Amino acid sequence: MHTLADAPTDGRTWSDLDDFQAFIDAGGMVEPGDDMPDEFRSEVFRFIEFHANSELMGGLTERDWIPHAPGLRLKQIFLAKTQDEIGHAHLLYMVAADMGVKTRTEMLEQLFDGRSRFHNVFHYKAVTWADQVAIAFLVDAAAFASQRAVFAECTYGPYKRVLKRIVAEEGFHMRHGEEMLLRLATGTDTQRVMFQDALTRWWWPAVHLFGPDSPSGDTDPLIRWKIKSQRNEVLRQAYVQKYVPLLHGYGFDIPDNELHQDADGLWQAGSIDWEPLKATMRNGGPDSARRIATAAGNWADTAWVREALEQ
Amino acid sequence: MNRYEVFLKKLGRDEFRHAGSLDAADPEMAVMYARETHNRRAEGSEMWLVDRRHVLVADPESMAVNDQKPHRHNDGSRVAARRKENRNSEA
Repeated sequence: MHTLADAPTDGRTWSDLDDFQAFIDAGGMVEPGDDMPDEFRSEVFRFIEFHANSELMGGLTERDWIPHAPGLRLKQIFLAKTQDEIGHAHLLYMVAADMGVKTRTEMLEQLFDGRSRFHNVFHYKAVTWADQVAIAFLVDAAAFASQRAVFAECTYGPYKRVLKRIVAEEGFHMRHGEEMLLRLATGTDTQRVMFQDALTRWWWPAVHLFGPDSPSGDTDPLIRWKIKSQRNEVLRQAYVQKYVPLLHGYGFDIPDNELHQDADGLWQAGSIDWEPLKATMRNGGPDSARRIATAAGNWADTAWVREALEQ
Repeated sequence: MNRYEVFLKKLGRDEFRHAGSLDAADPEMAVMYARETHNRRAEGSEMWLVDRRHVLVADPESMAVNDQKPHRHNDGSRVAARRKENRNSEA
């Protein structure tokens, strides 16, 4: 017998990766006490750390817009969204830290040092309030679709359990996004132009969020281990099918000259330039340096709170 | 920093359920973090926090012994088989 704090790996063991794969294929769920293969531990950790970083950086951008949100109801909504995103980061950093690869402090310090990665969409500047609406309508929806596809299977137990909560709350954010878009779409000409400009800036980053096509066959370990349930291109295609008609319905133009419906009526996006995505993954996006510096500044400014709590 | 395990219970007959873990400097902060992280939309009406060092974990071997006592279950299949046999012999 031991206590939960001792964290021994006296759970299940597997003789090799094939044995582990057979366990996963039979519907197995991995728990922190299991002696999981190193490859699984490091890949799943990286994935959760990326997700945690993205929630934190996303929460900080929501926070920036609280004072600028028009009206009390929208300020309340942005306060709640900020709390949700930071709360998701808390949950995810805890799950990641319990994998024993890095401590939460190490993850945060590396993020603020610019040595870590987070979602491409948080490397761009939100120019006007309409950008924030485009983010809520397009980007939250893309993130929601991609998280739901992880939640659908997700063979790492603690991650699946926090995703249940995260996905539920992102559902609220999506509805807020629809409500905000509806206000602009049915507003004045100026409001419609503002949203069209924002859509022109945010369409491609939202499409990029799903990532390039997954490696062919079953060579993506995250798909093989059933952390991801869908290939990137499948999720991206489903997103395009849903959002092109929605945006057209509101009378907005999608900034893709090659976008068309094929013989089966399916919307096909034009060829995708992945360079902007790659730049964000090097923390070299249009607004990466400012965003990371702001987050690092917040971390430094609040050092005294952490020190006081440690007393 | 201490690591706490958070449990929530909804109003009604449901049992307490594990909601997650968190790090906090003291019990007061732990309760506040837990409320703000796990109960923003009144997901529970009661909450327990337990210092992870006080959670005892049973060894898997000690749990496995009870997996080998099928006689503790009764799915009714023996009775069903006996009744079927009786019916067949009457017919």
